[in-house]
Amino acid sequence: MDKFDVVVMGAGPGGYPAAIRAAQLGASVAIVEREKLGGTCLNWGCIPTKTLIASSELFHAARRGEALGIKAGKLEYDYAAMAKRKDEVVATLNRGVEQLLKANGVKIFEGTASFDAPTRVNIAPAGEGRDTRIEGGTVIIATGSASAVPGFLPKHRRVVESRAFLDLTALPSSLLVLGGGVIGCEFACMAAQLGAEVTVVEMLDDILAMLDSDVRRELRRHMEQDLGIRVLTGKPLENIEASASGVSGKAGETELKADMLLVSVGRRPVTDGLALDRAGLSVNERGFIAVDAACRTRNASVFAIGDVTAGSTLLAHAATAQGVTAAENAVLKTRKPAGSLVPSCIFTSPEIGAVGITEQQARDAGRKVSVGKFGFAGLGKALASGEPNGFVKLIADSETDQLLGAHAVGPHATDLIGEAALAIHGEFTAEELGRVIHAHPTFAESWMEAAHALHGACIHAAPKRRK
Amino acid sequence: MAQAVAMPKFGQMVEESSIVKWHKKEGDSVRKGEILFEIETDKAVMEVESFFEGTLLKILVKENVSVPVSSVVGYIGTPGEAIPATPPPTAAAAPVPPQTPAPAQPAKPQPAPVQQASAALPAVAPRAPASVRPDGLVPSDAKVTPGARAPAPALPAAPARQIISPRAKALVKRSCIDPSPIAGSGPGGRVQERDVRAYMESRNYSAIRISPAAKKLAAAREVDILRVRGTGAGGRIMIHDVERAVAERPRALTKMRQVIARRLTESFTTTPHFYVTVAADITDLLVFRKDLKNRGEVYTVTDFVLEAVIMSLQEFPILNSVCDGRTVRWHGSVDLGMAVSLEDGLVVPAIRNAQDLGMRELHDTAASLAARAREGKLTPDEMTGSTFTVSNMGMLDVDTFHAIINPGEAGILAVATARDRVVARNGKMEIRSMMNMTLSVDHRIVDGSLAADFVNAIRKKLEDVALWTSLT
Repeated sequence: MDKFDVVVMGAGPGGYPAAIRAAQLGASVAIVEREKLGGTCLNWGCIPTKTLIASSELFHAARRGEALGIKAGKLEYDYAAMAKRKDEVVATLNRGVEQLLKANGVKIFEGTASFDAPTRVNIAPAGEGRDTRIEGGTVIIATGSASAVPGFLPKHRRVVESRAFLDLTALPSSLLVLGGGVIGCEFACMAAQLGAEVTVVEMLDDILAMLDSDVRRELRRHMEQDLGIRVLTGKPLENIEASASGVSGKAGETELKADMLLVSVGRRPVTDGLALDRAGLSVNERGFIAVDAACRTRNASVFAIGDVTAGSTLLAHAATAQGVTAAENAVLKTRKPAGSLVPSCIFTSPEIGAVGITEQQARDAGRKVSVGKFGFAGLGKALASGEPNGFVKLIADSETDQLLGAHAVGPHATDLIGEAALAIHGEFTAEELGRVIHAHPTFAESWMEAAHALHGACIHAAPKRRK
Repeated sequence: MAQAVAMPKFGQMVEESSIVKWHKKEGDSVRKGEILFEIETDKAVMEVESFFEGTLLKILVKENVSVPVSSVVGYIGTPGEAIPATPPPTAAAAPVPPQTPAPAQPAKPQPAPVQQASAALPAVAPRAPASVRPDGLVPSDAKVTPGARAPAPALPAAPARQIISPRAKALVKRSCIDPSPIAGSGPGGRVQERDVRAYMESRNYSAIRISPAAKKLAAAREVDILRVRGTGAGGRIMIHDVERAVAERPRALTKMRQVIARRLTESFTTTPHFYVTVAADITDLLVFRKDLKNRGEVYTVTDFVLEAVIMSLQEFPILNSVCDGRTVRWHGSVDLGMAVSLEDGLVVPAIRNAQDLGMRELHDTAASLAARAREGKLTPDEMTGSTFTVSNMGMLDVDTFHAIINPGEAGILAVATARDRVVARNGKMEIRSMMNMTLSVDHRIVDGSLAADFVNAIRKKLEDVALWTSLT
């Protein structure tokens, strides 16, 4: 039986960085993957969706190019070509991960991992062949999550979750989206930009309920008015049926029909078949594995990271941060906590970036905060680019002026959020951020303006009327 | 003439009180019977009504400053009326601190050690001259923060006042450091800016790394960042490090805890304690109590313990007495104290003349005292003067504990949780409800055999159901 210092179960955005980091630190490392290197993020999540969105954004922008003096004539898109490009991008990155793992001397096992004993891992190959057993000083569980598909939904080729949707080579002309979360909204915007007729049904009172209401309002207005997406909230989708001619359902009194139903009601942790009990572990009532801040499970020699862990944000970069931390803690025998300030990016149209607390969270916690907001309509670069919608806002502690949260909705919001994350991580005050000279003309100036606005000293916004 | 408002004296044992809240501001009109302020004594918080009608002319004692009872705390009169420069002497004698400045007093009567070399010094050195004003009040200096729970500023004020230049002060403030360890090189020991710089250099100030928000919080809360351990990358001081430093600051104990601290320290260090533990078999008593309950007569286990103690104290009067090391004084009646735990402390209300109470009266009195103790509604006299105390932690899941004798008493009985245990009974193993009781006694007046007899007398009573049948 082969022995390794570290065995990683799952080669997604949590697992493969964990394996590489452990190898960098001199450990002998094995990684087990049952599907494709890179996991959900690279193969069926972040990367393929962003590849398609790049096409849909360009198409959408070109169609509106006349405002910027561009006449593109009759525009068409070729979804099959878009899907092909997506596959190529994924394949390129896929090879990249494999090369990185090999270059670091990580041994890759193909097959399904399960526990045989607390530190012994069984690997069952996908096809014929015998199981392999390996021993690891430390085992890192990084098995991720999968789309949750409730049992009451009809099993039909017209009812798909995000992964199956990405396999399509033609875009349905009408799409019904069940669930107004991040995935549902991103797909809805992408399909709508390409001209599909889209309806989003969300049971909660609003889409993307974790965001502040002003951010949600901005996105929803664009989705409804600019992209023509129908957004139905506060009602469940009922009487769902699928047939050869299409799908149908009812949200409240509204009858809905479409070519296809995209199910995006959440994700479930993947722990089935892991035989966690043989490692002395169990999952909580929602199926997640409990870990401490240092990513350790109840079993001292087993770590868990990413979507499979309780309290996970279901974000690739959070899994990566945890993976690196777990690898360091496992190899160096330290107990460093993984970072907890996790920015989130939503690739809707407009984009959304968020990091730290929301105004609502501050209010719920009874915390006194000041808020500074700056709209892109007041920013030279945004106007020059023909993208004057949206805003950024900063939330700071009233007493210390410490930046606690930053939110952006509008052009480049997902890239803009990086600066805010750095400032919050470094415990910057709003005053300090405002003092950083920002290059002109750039979208990033909006943070400086928002920091000034927080103290009522914004140069490029009219003062609030004095009472 | 303006009327002096005095700090009222609630109860015999209260020596000092502080006003926790003034309900009136200077200049407010006050009617007779209106709430003027709230005070916190050793025992409780109480509202104080005005005896006078008029305008509150002056507040002499600010909130959260402890002063002897009967001290003048303010004046009520008509606006514009003169206020006496020195308040009239207050009637009741308050032992500490002195009512008039100490240096004027003659030397102590007993011969003091001869101090030839310092003959020129006053016979009685003023111990803390800065802390007592001519009016006998402890001044409300800047070191007193409002709100009992607010973090107290650094520990007791520096003995001598530090003189510091404005520039040095500004630098200290800007740098978030505590200037008190800085030695001044200026005239008269004045701390100059260069002294602050030298001090900062000696403490390697420039090596400190701190996040902007953490520094801002440190400045707002006056945290000395030289004393904060940073836990960020490379030892950088982060906001939670400053928050921890703030949380770790010493805070003033509540009045009640200060009293507990003083009285229990006094008792434990001056009274030689020893302890005797017995296990009472209360199986039958519990069955009996259940029978009573089914008949609609509710008693707690504490009620039976209290009654057993009351009866035993009458059999062993020495346990119901008090000793000061030279004399012993018997109490004529059993004023039984029962410890009641509160959110942040405990009180010991006394059941007066407990020997005269029947079981039903005893139950009602105990229940009422406990309930009012938890509501903070006991009168000061109900909280003092017990002659022997019972502390029952039966509901707190403990096997046994040793209690500290209340000052002024000879003993205390610590009652633990009744548990089912396997015991040998008539040569066989049986499961019985056993309750440990530990008697703490003052060895100066009680010896081992007496303590054993006393605690066994209590035990036997608790095990004797026939006795309880006749008493209930």
